[in-house]
Amino acid sequence: MSLFLVSFASAQERFLTKKGMISFFSETPIENIEAQNNQVLSIVDATSGKMAISILMKSFMFEKALMQEHFNENYVDSDKYPKATFKGAIIDFDTITTSERSLAIIGNLTIHGETKEITINALTKKTGEVIEMAGDFFINLADFNVKIPSIVKNNISEKIKVSFRFQHKPYKK
Amino acid sequence: MKKISIYILIIGLLGIFIGYKVYHKPHINVAKKSIDITITANILLADFSSDETKANAKYLDKIIAVKGRVTKVEFNGEKAAISLQTKDDFGSVVCYLVKDEFKKSAQIKEGQEVVLKGICTGFLMDVILVKCIIINSK
Repeated sequence: MSLFLVSFASAQERFLTKKGMISFFSETPIENIEAQNNQVLSIVDATSGKMAISILMKSFMFEKALMQEHFNENYVDSDKYPKATFKGAIIDFDTITTSERSLAIIGNLTIHGETKEITINALTKKTGEVIEMAGDFFINLADFNVKIPSIVKNNISEKIKVSFRFQHKPYKK
Repeated sequence: MKKISIYILIIGLLGIFIGYKVYHKPHINVAKKSIDITITANILLADFSSDETKANAKYLDKIIAVKGRVTKVEFNGEKAAISLQTKDDFGSVVCYLVKDEFKKSAQIKEGQEVVLKGICTGFLMDVILVKCIIINSK
């Protein structure tokens, strides 16, 4: 963790949230599955436009306890892979203004020990001391080697919609 | 013949009933669960900072009673997040309380010593406990 932090150059220009929100949604004709995590750590370096996100898999809360159990034990193996991470760069970060606009973020997303490069579009704005970012994107379970047993194949979508909302504030300590 | 079909019907209904029960299994009720580990916020954070993999194996998914001094109480709607002091400048232990604790958590003051009980989900900059309840505040 400390390494991860010092990799960002200037401390004054760092914005972060420890209470970022990430949710995901799987939609099938049989059932919809949704989970939300409100303890996401997201850091933006305002000098370089670099971004780093850390997510605890066990912090995803499901409507049904059984789904949560299956998610942790069978699908993402959260004992072995307790975190998902994203490290990337916000393209044209210096064009950020007080009015909301869509910016692309290119980076590596790691889930379940598997890393894939993705591009995410985020509605971004900076008002006062807050950098806000929100958006959604889709991931394929197969890209992260998450295997769904054939018995529940019809209950879980192969494409998962991921939504996020972060309000980064200047980091002071 | 009639008897057999009644048996099959009973077994079938029983199966549906069990299936329904398993599918709708309730979430862990932290208040009713017994404590696995009692610890201070300082030691809990120190364990995670020194060896995260070992600490994950020891604390993840466990019901933990953590004692510490309150440094911050924040609200997200009716859900409180209480940060506990540690000797580390960087991190703390952050406990996310359940909605039912709203009234009690609104009375918690900075500097107060508390014991909170919750489930450990891991370590980012802070050690994180979810579904917390207040078991002692003085």
